[in-house]
Amino acid sequence: MFEKDEQKSPSREVETIIGPSVKVEGNFSGDGNVIVDGSLQGTLKTRHNLRVGKEAKIKADIQVANLTVAGEIRGNVKVSERTELSASAKVIGNLETKILSVEPGAVLQGKVTMMNEIKEFTPEKNVQK
Amino acid sequence: MYTYIYDSYLNDKKYQNALFRIESRLLELGINGRIEKLTILKSLKELVADAVDRKSETLVIVGNDETLTRAISFLPSHNTIVGMIPMGPKNEIAELLGIPQEVDACDTVSRRIIEHIDLGKANGQYFLSRLEIPDMTKVKLECNGYSISMSHSGAAFICNMDLQKGPVRCNPQDGVLEAVIQPTEDHRSFTEVFKKKFSHSSVFPITSAFLRGFGENVPVLADGYTTLKTPVVIEIAPKQLQIIVGGRRSFS
Repeated sequence: MFEKDEQKSPSREVETIIGPSVKVEGNFSGDGNVIVDGSLQGTLKTRHNLRVGKEAKIKADIQVANLTVAGEIRGNVKVSERTELSASAKVIGNLETKILSVEPGAVLQGKVTMMNEIKEFTPEKNVQK
Repeated sequence: MYTYIYDSYLNDKKYQNALFRIESRLLELGINGRIEKLTILKSLKELVADAVDRKSETLVIVGNDETLTRAISFLPSHNTIVGMIPMGPKNEIAELLGIPQEVDACDTVSRRIIEHIDLGKANGQYFLSRLEIPDMTKVKLECNGYSISMSHSGAAFICNMDLQKGPVRCNPQDGVLEAVIQPTEDHRSFTEVFKKKFSHSSVFPITSAFLRGFGENVPVLADGYTTLKTPVVIEIAPKQLQIIVGGRRSFS
């Protein structure tokens, strides 16, 4: 009938959780995965993944490896790998990423730069014998 | 050389048989040593200092969580190995260390599986399990370049070792303390009354922090027994304590 603790407990892989009633201000730099469900102002850097929950409000420049957004981000975002914006996501700022996935309904206001290396087209030269 | 410190509550008659069995078993195992008993005239601080002065290699606490955490807070160096023989209730730390109750603990002490574990430090005072901040709305936790505050009522814990099942496992050997912030639940409906409070907890791994009170000295509880007042400087002392553990300990 009732939920057990264990079902809600995040795994040890999740290093930092910013819950809904918590406010973080300043330059946050973490080594592990970060989940934001509360509010954060300043900058956020991690070499791992960032998940921004539906109720989260972030006013910060962000640098992460992978990003999943369901809440609101105001600031410039740099993602070294993959960015996923779900239907409720709102990103106001420039976004740099390698892979981008956007669900219908997501709001993205800003310049998007895809960081994939673009190979220049060079026509094959006919080498005359 | 072994020194055994008995807590004063063990003077109660109901523990006499168990203590007799323990002393006999220690003799059989060849690890008997000097026995010191806590009394009104002999404080734990004095007894720990005496044991250290006598260069006692192993200090065994015979008592409960409170006896152990208080003794550890007085240990000035990490050269003394700490052991434990848990007696009676309130022995959650012993359980985490994998030490069985009463006479069975003698074999654990004798096996001498020694682990180096971290200790927390609050205003220079060591703590083993955690610091408890009963009202997080009255303080701000300043960590490395950022600060954490709370808008709703709730408590915060700076954990080195798990005492209760929380949202994360706290490993006392990872060189990190976990700041766990738990908001007080708003009971919106009948079923939500029974939802566990960990669902909205926040967790921050920290190595040092500064706890600042908003305008007043806010009480902070170390290991559940010692009260400190803000401001509090919090640090981790990695591998500070050598402790005898059992095979069924909760960490590797």
